[in-house]
Formats: sequence, structure tokens, C-alpha cells
Amino acid sequence: MKHTALLRRTSARTLLATGLLTSLVLTTGCTKSEDSSDSDKAAPQQGDSGQQVASPSAGSGPTCTIDAYGGEKLDLKSATVGFSQSEKEANPFRIAETASIEAEAKKRGVKLLTANAQSQFSKQISDVQDLIAKGADLLVIAPLNSDGWEPVLRTAAAKHIPIVTVDRKINATACKDYVSFIGSDFVEQGKRAADEMIEATGGKGDIAILLGSAGNNVTTERTKGFVDQIKAKAPGLKVVFQQTGEFAREKGQSVTENLIQSKPGIKGIYAENDEMGLGAVNALKGAGKKAGAVKIVTIDGTRNAVQGIVDGWISGVIESNPRFGPLAFQTLDTFTKGSEVAQDIVIKDSAYTEANAQSDLDKAY
Amino acid sequence: MTELTLAQGRVDRDRLLRLLQEYGVYAGVAALLVFNFAFTDHFVSAENFRTQAVQVAPVLIVALGMALAIGTEGVDLSVGSVMALSTSLLSLYLGYGPWAAVLVPVAGGILIGLANGTLVAHLGVQPIVATLALMVAARGLALVLLPQLKDVRDPGMTALGSGDVLGVPYLVLIAVALALLVAFVVRRTTFGRQLLAIGDSRPAARLAGLPVRRVLIVVYACSGALAAVAGVLATARLTASDPTSLGTLMELSAITAVVVGGTPLSGGRVRIGGTVAGAVLIQLLTTTLVKHDLPPSWTQMAQAVVIVGAVYAARERGKR
Repeated sequence: MKHTALLRRTSARTLLATGLLTSLVLTTGCTKSEDSSDSDKAAPQQGDSGQQVASPSAGSGPTCTIDAYGGEKLDLKSATVGFSQSEKEANPFRIAETASIEAEAKKRGVKLLTANAQSQFSKQISDVQDLIAKGADLLVIAPLNSDGWEPVLRTAAAKHIPIVTVDRKINATACKDYVSFIGSDFVEQGKRAADEMIEATGGKGDIAILLGSAGNNVTTERTKGFVDQIKAKAPGLKVVFQQTGEFAREKGQSVTENLIQSKPGIKGIYAENDEMGLGAVNALKGAGKKAGAVKIVTIDGTRNAVQGIVDGWISGVIESNPRFGPLAFQTLDTFTKGSEVAQDIVIKDSAYTEANAQSDLDKAY
Repeated sequence: MTELTLAQGRVDRDRLLRLLQEYGVYAGVAALLVFNFAFTDHFVSAENFRTQAVQVAPVLIVALGMALAIGTEGVDLSVGSVMALSTSLLSLYLGYGPWAAVLVPVAGGILIGLANGTLVAHLGVQPIVATLALMVAARGLALVLLPQLKDVRDPGMTALGSGDVLGVPYLVLIAVALALLVAFVVRRTTFGRQLLAIGDSRPAARLAGLPVRRVLIVVYACSGALAAVAGVLATARLTASDPTSLGTLMELSAITAVVVGGTPLSGGRVRIGGTVAGAVLIQLLTTTLVKHDLPPSWTQMAQAVVIVGAVYAARERGKR
């Protein structure tokens, strides 16, 4: 009997704890965050911001047609498109990318199925298989990894489902395993960041690099482009410090705090994404530096970073355009009509500097 | 004769390991300081010490709660996620003013702690499993509440993150005050004695009539509250709420600080001074490698070496 009483008390307490947790979830209904007017720019500006193709120019580079790929022509309007996103829409790039795909599908009146792999590759594989099972006729994939796509490709090939990959490539044969890849040239982005850095610093002095996450092709390519260009164009600039900020603001801030103390003469900081660059700005502010004392160049083109140029803390931002919707659907449309499309479509990324930051602020995502 | 020398050698090694476990962390901190004084440019400056102290403050605060949990022969893996939940709640309630922005996150941390404590104390779930579950749950909740990074521009929060009193940053003052408070609780209060008794032997504590369950629940609630405070301070320093990455792997840093500081994983002892030194040791290790621009992967390996060393020193000092 005593045992039952004990049990009852135990479950009563468990209930209490559960109740408390639930109330925590519920009370969040009456939240009130600060200045929701200007900081809530979660809704991405679309407007004139669709991508433009940088290469190939018409008639160059390998192409693909539906006859070569296998499969039948269809009308995109009556088709179902499946979109598999790799990472949670928690950063501006992914938010803008998904929003762009969804907006374009809506605009064209195409039925869209979406899935998000939450940064787990095994989930992305099953996501894509689910999309196929749910009746997707065409696939747009933002791959988390380049390798490991065989099971999906086999399923898709059996059903002759055309695949377009965006922002990252997969290791497979174009026009056989997938139709086209649409994305930025990360090496080129690094080179253009180097040009901005050379101009901002006058090509002389010590500079630092805030690297992205290790083992990521975006990191290696943005580093390679930058370092090669600096070597070739401005031998007076010396990279004296390379540490990872893991693409995160907090890490970018702590690393920069250490950097400016151990190397007070540093002239410029190249951050391989905007978030780390904004962390570096925090660190410089904290150390009592003036805006522009250390030149910062970043890559991505988020609104916060472009605002940083307007405020004088950042010298240049190279864009990495996430708005794949129009180009991806246009490619699928052309392809399913039977015309040829390019296998490698490299998009043109714009850049923000002092000259255009204010006027182009609304184009930033 | 031979047996005697063998026994003698054994005792000596035990004593050596004990010394290493108790004071090794201070020796490590001293060695790193000496190295940096000698070989790191611009290391000796008020600015640099300030930076190091500010960077270590959130880790230290989390480690204090972790030390209490480990003292009861438990562990709290949910601390990093509680920091994330705390930053989400802060951002969502900042509109009600600075007090709400501090108190609501702390209340959230306490609730997660109560859930941990209930699972451990009443349902008999292993601490590592219970807090693992809440680690996943709290991170998920944080991201549901605030799906993406959001700037925090409130002047009060900015002041908390970067302001100081006579050159000592608020973050450091708060961390030191909390360390003193926790040390006092462990050494001078009945609650502290009960906590250690439970860590030493839970059946014995129960037989002695100690309120085992209540103490365990309070311990995990404290750990949750401290992690939430660390989340608030980290947010103030960053001037942004970033529930995706804030606090990731914080449990690892906190456990390292506690264990390296000489608190045995087998419970029954809590060393707050050692925990402070442990947190400082990890900070100095990372800083030294960063300042000398060594590859980032080295930091992780160096941390691994320190953990293995600490656990080795502690390995023969389990409960007998």
C-alpha cells in the first residue's frame, strides 16, 4: 500500500514537471520582442533579384537534352516538382534559397513538394526517395554532400526523373545521373574578395583570414581563390593569420579578439562568410577601434553585412546569390520542352561596396 | 622485503597521482602563463587579460553547475541547449524590458533543470540519458521559438555585454560572484553537505534519512539556472540571439573544466577552485594556439590530451 502511495506521489511530481514545461511552451504565446519594425526582415525581398548566368555564354560548354538523358517531354505547368533542402532554414542564405524556389513555383503555378534534411545526409537521401514516392516528376536538390548519392540516382534513373542540383555539385556524371548544376564559383568569389581587399588596403600590410568550417568545399575554394589572387596581384599583402570561425558569429568574434591583441598592426580581415565578419566587427568595436581602421571583406551579401558597409565597418561584400528559383525552373522548363540546357550553369554574383551599398541595400537578403 | 617495497612504490604513485589530480591544473595554468609571457607577443596587457577573462566567463558559469551535478555522481548534458533556449527566450521577451529578458530565460533554465532532476530523482533514469533527452528537447524548443539568428540592439543588453566597473567587465564580476556563491554553498551549507553525501553513496545517504530526491532536483535546477545565465551573458556579448550555434559542445568544455579541476566523476567531492582553474586552462590552451596561428584542429587534440591526462590522474581514485 505504501508502495502505491509512493508511486502516486512520484507520478504526481512527474505530472507537475511536465505541466511546468508545457506552460513554458504555452506562455511563449505572449512574447514581445524588441523593435520588430526594422529587425524583422525575415521576409526576403524578392523583386529584381533573380540570378543571372555568368557562364556558359550561349552556345559554349557541354549541354544536355531530354533525348540524351532519357525520359519523356512534359509540360512543366502540369508537373510536380520536388525540392530537397540540405540545411535548416536558420541562416539567411537557406531562408532566401527556399523562399526563392517556393515563390517561383507559385508564380509558374507548379505543384511543389518540399523536404528539409536538417543537415543530416541520411535524412536527405530518404527525403529525396520520399519525394519520388510522392510523385515528383522533376527534382531540384540542394545537396548537403557531394558524395553518396548512388541510391537516389538509381531510383531516379529507373523513373527517368530529371534532377537539377543547386548551390553544391554532386559527384556523378552530368546528363546521365543528373541534368545540370546551377551554382556560384566559390574560387571566383575568393578572388573577387581579394581584389576588394587589395583596393581597400592599398595592397600593403598584414592581413588575416577567418576560415569557414574545416573539411567544407566552400571553405577550401574561397580560401584558394583569395590566397592565389593575393599572391599574384599584391605581393605586399601578407596573410599572417588563418583561423577558423566555423561560419559562426560568436567564433568569429572570439578569434578576432585574440587576433587584434596579438597582431595589433593588422590591416585587413577576410571573413569567408558574413556572420564571421559581423563577429569581427563586434570585436573591433569592443577593442575601441574606429570604423574602417581595419578593413573587412566578407562573402554572402546578407542584409546585416551590407548595412555594415553603409555604417563604415565593412569595406566590401561579395555576393553569393541564393535565389535559385527562377533559373532552376527556367532550366527545367527548357529541358522538359526538349531543348538543350547547359550542364554547368555558373551564376553571376554581384558585389557590394561603399559605392552601391546604400542604394542596393534592399537587394541584400 | 620485496613486497614491502612494492607496497611502498604503490603508495608513492598513489600520492603522486593524487597530487597531480589536486594541483595539476594550477601547474598547467602556471606553465601556460609562463610560456605565453615568454613567447607570445603582446600577451602581457590589460586588454588581453580582459579579453581572456570575458571569453572564459560563460564557460565557467556553466562549469559551476556541472560541478554540482558531477558531485552527485551525475552529469548535465543539457547545458549547451539550455543556453540556446535562454538566448531564444531573451530575444522573445526583451520587449517587456531588461528584467523580463533576464528572468524569463533563467526561469526556462530552471524548468529544464527540474525536468532533468525529476527524471533522475523520481524515475531513476541515468543522468547521462535523462539530460541527453533534455539536451535534444531544449535545443529543439529553442529553434521552434526562434528559428534564426536575431540581432539584440537593446542598450541595456549591450552594456551588460561590454560594460565594466573600474575596468572589470560585468561578465567577469558576475562569473566571480557566482563562483564564490557556489563555493560557499558547497562548503558551508547543509545542502552542500547533503549533495556530497549523496554523491559519495546514494544508498547510505538515503539510509541516513537525507532528502535525496529533493537535493538532486535542486542540483539540476541550479545547473539549468546557471546555464541560462551563461546564455544571457553570451547573448549580451554577441549582441545577437543565435540558437543554432550558441552553446554547441558547451557540455564538453564544462565537463573538461570540472574534471581537469580535480572533481572526480565518481562524485562525493566538488572542487570549485579547481573548476575555475580548469576553465582558465582550456581558455589559455585555445588562446595560445590561436595567437600562434596553429591549425585549429590542434586545439581539439590538445584538449583531448588534457582530458585524458586528467582522467588518468583520477582513475585510481574512484570509490573504494
